[in-house]
Amino acid sequence: MRNKKHIYSYALVIPALVFFVIFFIAPSIYGIYYSLTDWTIGKEKVSFIGLSNYKTIFQSSELRLAINNTFLYAIVVVIGKNLIGLLLALAVNTKMALRGYFRVVFFLPCVISTIIIGLVFVPILHPNGILNNFLGAIGLSFLQHSWLVDTKIVMLSIAAVSIWQWSGYHMVIYLAGLQGISESYYEAAKIDGASAFKRFQYITFPMLAPTFNINILLSLIGGLKVFSEPYALTNGGPGKASQVIALEVFSKFGKGQWGLGTALNVTLAIFVLVICIPVLHMMRKREVEE
Amino acid sequence: MSSKSKEQIGRIVLIAVLVLLSLIIIVPLLIMLLGSFKDSAEVTAFDLKLPKKWNFNNFPIVFKEGKLLRAFGNSMLITIISTSITIFVSSLASFVLARRNARLSRFLYYFFFIGTIIPMQIMPTIRLFSAINIYGGYSNIIILYSALNIPFSCFLYTGFIKGIPKVLDESAFIEGASTFKIYLYIILPLLKSCNITVLILLFTGIWNEINIPLYFLNNPLKRTMPLSVYQFFGMYGGSNWNYVFADLTLATLPIVILFIFMQKQFISGLTEGAVKG
Repeated sequence: MRNKKHIYSYALVIPALVFFVIFFIAPSIYGIYYSLTDWTIGKEKVSFIGLSNYKTIFQSSELRLAINNTFLYAIVVVIGKNLIGLLLALAVNTKMALRGYFRVVFFLPCVISTIIIGLVFVPILHPNGILNNFLGAIGLSFLQHSWLVDTKIVMLSIAAVSIWQWSGYHMVIYLAGLQGISESYYEAAKIDGASAFKRFQYITFPMLAPTFNINILLSLIGGLKVFSEPYALTNGGPGKASQVIALEVFSKFGKGQWGLGTALNVTLAIFVLVICIPVLHMMRKREVEE
Repeated sequence: MSSKSKEQIGRIVLIAVLVLLSLIIIVPLLIMLLGSFKDSAEVTAFDLKLPKKWNFNNFPIVFKEGKLLRAFGNSMLITIISTSITIFVSSLASFVLARRNARLSRFLYYFFFIGTIIPMQIMPTIRLFSAINIYGGYSNIIILYSALNIPFSCFLYTGFIKGIPKVLDESAFIEGASTFKIYLYIILPLLKSCNITVLILLFTGIWNEINIPLYFLNNPLKRTMPLSVYQFFGMYGGSNWNYVFADLTLATLPIVILFIFMQKQFISGLTEGAVKG
């Protein structure tokens, strides 16, 4: 067998592998090394300094804030996008007028660049912007906030813009999941007199499990890697209040602190791996059981 | 009240709620669109009032000042070439990964899969491109987008090709065709729908992305659309929001027009990517 040509030669994998290994895997491995060095702009020699970059990261209150912000943001967008996406999917899954229009409109923002969306929301969320004026006009002035200026809520405002943009995307994935559930289950339940809520609880919810996993994983990875939303809306401000890990990597890059920046980048990779691998593992297990 | 009419009322309430929700999506985009026709004083209200006078000349000014044509060309070049490379090498590799059930091919499959999850290491990659003297230009960004998108594309293609029966390849092989010939003449023509999915996924992803160009383009002339938009905002965001809105509107137009004409393909393309992946 060994000398005979195989019908499916591995040679065809080589181009993809070359791109992937040289330009993705190799820098990732090098990154681990560089994160342990004092690599800086203009410095002739790069020397090994052990874990000291990582110590800097976890001792600096600014960088810890960026890490906390990233987690806060990720949690909020995972909950927001999935909850709203699911509710929208359930709504537009019923037969009604304007159904096609709703799907298209809710989906529309996700074909537009996040940078553009972010910039459109800058004046809308301004303290004297249309959102606050509108809240005032309908008698909800107690809800008015300095959305992007108040350091306590700025992360939530940024998350809200992302939820605005991407809920429709998750809606469509949930919709695909809902349409994969056979009508016969619902008919049987209706005959047995199950209420709409019971039908959701005992049929829709468990049958949607794989769809939940995909949606949660996608929004989680996107949330942890977040960059464009705060970059466009606040650029990390006011002060450092809305810095996230990826933005800090960019700022360290700009300052020429490449060893520290790479350590932050590796930290982000570790967070993503540690959080997402168990989720993936769960997904696999469930698929096998099916 | 009968349960039939109760249901009817429920449906009407639902439609009303959804109409209101759809306004939440439309209003911000409408503010942008209307603002792009206003003058610099009028626009600062950032409201939904129609412009007193429709300033169509905002667009040619912005088109020139924002160097949008150049940015559009740059984005086109980068997006089209890296998308083509990715589609070609990923479908090629996936053909073998889908067909062979050996330990090595399973390992390679999971190896590629890692690339769909972990974030790339930016500064070491910059160093690599500097070392081979292509940092900062089109080629490094095209190579990088290809490398970053190959994993996910392989994932989609492998799943898709597994659904194509093996019989055809085997008979071609017996007649003496090489693996590449089988790919080219038998598999590739059958990949049409998967190609459209991957194409739409990569095209919108790369077209809209800003992080990579921020790090990997050091020549202002080579700016992509999102980058040029952000820089334009930096120049005019303090004084002329009408120009900023006109710039955003022009930058949004190409992809939204594409979306309107290809809604079905877009929605199924972007979501199939997630569902199959």
